[in-house]
Amino acid sequence: MYRSILSATTLVLTLGGLLSAQMPAAKSNSKTWSVPRTPDGKPDLQGVWTNATITPMERPSSLAGKSTLTDAEAAAYEKSNHDELVKQDGQSDGPLIAAAGSSGTGGYNVLFVDRGTELARVDGVKRTSLVIDPPDGRVPPITPEARKRNAEMMRSFSNFDSVKTRPLSERCLIGFGSTAGPPMLPVLYNNNYQIVQTPDAVMILIEMVHDARIIRINGTHAPPNVRQWFGDSIGHWEGDTLVVDTTNFTDQTRFRGSSANLHVVERFSRVDASTILYRVSIDDPSTFSKIWTMEYPFVATKGPLYEYACHEGNYAMPDILGGARKAEQEPKK
Amino acid sequence: MKIKQIAMMIAAGTVLTVVPAWAHHAFAAEFDAKKPVHLEGVVTKVELINPHSWIHVDVKNADGTTASWMVEAGSPNVLLRRGFTKATIAAGTPVVVEGYQSKDGSMRANGRDVTLPNGQKLFLGSQGTGAPYEEKK
Repeated sequence: MYRSILSATTLVLTLGGLLSAQMPAAKSNSKTWSVPRTPDGKPDLQGVWTNATITPMERPSSLAGKSTLTDAEAAAYEKSNHDELVKQDGQSDGPLIAAAGSSGTGGYNVLFVDRGTELARVDGVKRTSLVIDPPDGRVPPITPEARKRNAEMMRSFSNFDSVKTRPLSERCLIGFGSTAGPPMLPVLYNNNYQIVQTPDAVMILIEMVHDARIIRINGTHAPPNVRQWFGDSIGHWEGDTLVVDTTNFTDQTRFRGSSANLHVVERFSRVDASTILYRVSIDDPSTFSKIWTMEYPFVATKGPLYEYACHEGNYAMPDILGGARKAEQEPKK
Repeated sequence: MKIKQIAMMIAAGTVLTVVPAWAHHAFAAEFDAKKPVHLEGVVTKVELINPHSWIHVDVKNADGTTASWMVEAGSPNVLLRRGFTKATIAAGTPVVVEGYQSKDGSMRANGRDVTLPNGQKLFLGSQGTGAPYEEKK
């Protein structure tokens, strides 16, 4: 049984590109479980979910060729991950950071970080990367044009001229790290989502910066001149899978250097009582040499989502701009 | 693949667990890595607000005056899920803070570590946190 699941996973991984329009068949944990449905008969995706995981987006080079781990291997990986975090905390203990005089240990300790403690489990098997296509688990090479865009973006991070030159997340306009996406990626903390569903729309509330995505079912895309930070999302049902198509991004939400022409297709499938399997394909020919795909679970979690009123408490912004003004007044070395 | 090999790969630095300095904002944008601070004082107020909590700490200077510092902590959403409330370090609690001062020279710092009088480091620990993914087990 175990081997057959592994083989099935390998097959899915291998054929991921060819089968990008197909989700793996829904698997249930027990024979009694069936997909819960809304009154109009659609799969019920509603609830509070988390995508927290320590599985990295891209497979580490030292795990090349190994897309999954056995439970024992995964447990070793997860333990090492935990031990490393504890070690890092220990390194900043007491006056050590002062003695070291550096930020080498990072600005925050473990309590502030909530990436989960486990690798992502799909089809019963733990994964070593979120990327499943290309099969090597790595994001395809980006174009020279995208490299230029990325460099410009990196340069903009050191522009402290005004609030408007700072990153959108620092300004509390959107969450950081593509938490709302799409793609909706796990980030350092607050990886919580609430889905509310009607026959005409699916709403996804993202905890970070209380971002909300409204997906219009069987809608049509807004005209090309209408651009949004999270793009314009429309959805339809393919069997029991919700397929969400997002275009009309701005040129300000760069996902790994992407352009405003980014095209994201997400697929949501209830696979058991506590899991939505999320598969997302990324297409932007001016950025990526080919379409690529990630897959990971959204796991049911205890609610509620907490408020994330960000702007009101953003004391960091005056510190950041004030620090820059002070630096300008200091004599040049 | 043997477990030992997995462990060796991890030891070789393949695990991406280094707590990044970049979250809501870049550490280096707000704080000065060359100005580590060591504060011993008493909590006067805790603000559980996003994007960061702030712990207000009064520190007695050598000349008898009081310096009021503000210490930046994590998102309260994470803290609340781990059972941290305003009562966890109520006003009047003595604390020791290790962190870095803000670049603008104001009396604000990040709170890399907050230690209670009994020596317990308040924020240490990533297991048994009460985080949702652990509750489901």
